[in-house]
Amino acid sequence: MSAPAKEGRVPRWLVRYASPVAVLAAWELSVRLGLVDPFLLPALSSVLLRAAEEIATGDVLFHAWLTIYRAMAGFLAATALGVTIGVLTARNRYCRWFFEPLVSVGFPMPKIAFMAIFILWFGIGDASKIVMVTLTCIFPIISATYLGCSQVDRYLVWSARNMGTSERRVLWKVVLPASLPQILNGLQIAFPSALIVTVVTEMISSGGGLGGYMILAARFALSEKVFVGVVVIAVVGYALLTVFGHVRRHILAWHAESQMAI
Amino acid sequence: MRPLAGLGRTAFYYTPLLIIGLAWEAMARTGILPPDLGPSPMQTIAALRLLYTDGDLVMHAGISFWREFAGFASSCVLGTAVGVGMARVDWVRTVFRPIVTFLYPMPKSALIPLLLLWFGIDHMSKIAAVFLGCLLPVVTSAFNGARGVEPQLIWSARSLGTSSTAILWKIVLPAALPDILSGVRIALSVSWLLLVSAELLISRSGLGFLISYTGESGDYSSMFAAILVVVSIGFLADRLFLHVIRWVLRYRDFTG
Amino acid sequence: MSKIEFAGVRKVFQGDTPNPVVAIDNIDLTVRQDEFVSIVGPSGCGKSTLLYLLGGFLDLSGGEIRVDGRAVTEPGPDRGIVFQHFALFPWKTVLGNVEYGLAEQGMGKAERREIAQGYIDMVKLGGFEDTFPNRLSGGMQQRVALARTLACDPDILLMDEPFGALDAQTRHILQEELLEIWSRRKKTVLFVTHDVREAVILAERCVVVTARPGRVKTEIDTSSGKADGAAIEKKAEEIWDVLREELVRT
Repeated sequence: MSAPAKEGRVPRWLVRYASPVAVLAAWELSVRLGLVDPFLLPALSSVLLRAAEEIATGDVLFHAWLTIYRAMAGFLAATALGVTIGVLTARNRYCRWFFEPLVSVGFPMPKIAFMAIFILWFGIGDASKIVMVTLTCIFPIISATYLGCSQVDRYLVWSARNMGTSERRVLWKVVLPASLPQILNGLQIAFPSALIVTVVTEMISSGGGLGGYMILAARFALSEKVFVGVVVIAVVGYALLTVFGHVRRHILAWHAESQMAI
Repeated sequence: MRPLAGLGRTAFYYTPLLIIGLAWEAMARTGILPPDLGPSPMQTIAALRLLYTDGDLVMHAGISFWREFAGFASSCVLGTAVGVGMARVDWVRTVFRPIVTFLYPMPKSALIPLLLLWFGIDHMSKIAAVFLGCLLPVVTSAFNGARGVEPQLIWSARSLGTSSTAILWKIVLPAALPDILSGVRIALSVSWLLLVSAELLISRSGLGFLISYTGESGDYSSMFAAILVVVSIGFLADRLFLHVIRWVLRYRDFTG
Repeated sequence: MSKIEFAGVRKVFQGDTPNPVVAIDNIDLTVRQDEFVSIVGPSGCGKSTLLYLLGGFLDLSGGEIRVDGRAVTEPGPDRGIVFQHFALFPWKTVLGNVEYGLAEQGMGKAERREIAQGYIDMVKLGGFEDTFPNRLSGGMQQRVALARTLACDPDILLMDEPFGALDAQTRHILQEELLEIWSRRKKTVLFVTHDVREAVILAERCVVVTARPGRVKTEIDTSSGKADGAAIEKKAEEIWDVLREELVRT
């Protein structure tokens, strides 16, 4: 998609990738020239070689799969629960009375501190990790859904009622579709924290995953492996966010603003 | 319910939390909740008092606060400088924008093992975690804020005699402040999460360490108490910062 | 026989403030079958509220509204409404919007598609069937809204300042199109506007509402005397004279 560069100008792609390439080159060179201790900063080439080995044995891919599975399971559970609670909070005043203070207190809390309790309750397996991810993601989803549902243009609701939509079906025909942009915004805010928290839970309690893989490597002072973990997680994060962005844009094809945002 | 004012209204607002606490306490006392699920709210509060009187709590909280402050403050200063620089100076944008774009989707918690490797298990690795956690939200919000300054605002100031260097202090920063502050608010909560995570993982001090230490020694009442302290600090810090934002931006209609 | 009757209609908004706002007080109004009535008044006089009450979207605080002798209790497709800001469903295409009401009444896919297509062609939007409303200009969006409402074939058409958000040229074209549609398929129309010229051009009768609380101040016959521009100006001036007293009071 890169436009043909104007004459006498540096091509766009070069400008775009110049600084990351420079950083990577500086990394490689500083190790090669012996400016830094290769234990603290293994050369880029050796990290990539090591990554290729780990991928070839399938080891790191297995851990990546575990991380993705936990993050997605927790995130999807948070989506189902969060949207339900958000809709109830917007449409029923008793639910609003009950959930509003819980959300306003729970939203800014560092939920990761509860991990110790979840391990006590649900053990060190997948369950405690997934619950932790769900708890982390649910607050932005509830509050975005609540905002979206309570700000639906009353004229849209009236239009539907006018054309024969019953009071109860308005939720499905108007309120949910109209608040979809906000709900997806909430999901987009929650999504990165799913990965952040999954990785931490894996570092805290055993059971593999990229977090476990890295913390183990750090404990045994295998610095190359730690870097492999960082690289793989960065790739996983980038891939998941890209997929999420595409899905969002596809769903909101009708929504002018989200088409422009990249 | 409208006429309820001030304290009464706040109390009414938080009633559901009180009800949950009371229900928990009641179920724990009557044995509906098995004791191995952990202490009841009253036991937690008793443990909290003990932690406070023997000084452990204050010491660990002090250490955590110091780490948080050092990382947070340095990150806010540097992040704002880089963000505003990116918005105002072409070559700064050319250099940093791709780096920011590449680092953005990276789950920052994955850097914790690396920081342990580099900086050891003492203060420095935790401060670095806080610093890195804050950096991107501050940089991106400062960038967006400074980019969004209306050119007419700058032109007006220039024609009224403000020099081009003073524009930065007198126009760009104040105009970008709302964005910067909302970025800092995100940074505050992310950094506290990363600090506690890092302390939970490998540390010899700090509130996160207190949680993992009491948990490992089976003193669940103290563990619950420490968790209560950590999440309360997170909540109160956010509320406090919200009030600061409201005060600083009192010149405009602040909603939300 | 009268199609619509407002009898002692009153609407009070309770709201959050200690003093309730009386939007409309004791309005009596009768509209004949197939009549085109415009309602003008100062802004905030409750003229739109009158439509929302007839539409069944708001509850009455007093009095009664009857359509064909039956009291209005809830919204229904017999009273189609067009809002000032279109209120199109942004997640549905032009065709999806126009088909919506027909689908809600349980009409089969092929049939509703055909009917919707007819109305889309009528408002001159053929070729835009699969476009989302956000990609259309204001005038085109209001055409879609008109087609959507007409597709349900309502007896009564409620129009809430429908051309108020459009630029002057577009407004003029849509006024002409509305008159043409109205002359082809007769409907009872209640048209709220703050533009007295528009009221004269379109309606047969103009109801002037007072400043808040809204009451019927007077009714002016606008069925004749719009042969040329000068006549329209004269009629508009007549309404203006009545309205001016009210505008001073707001």
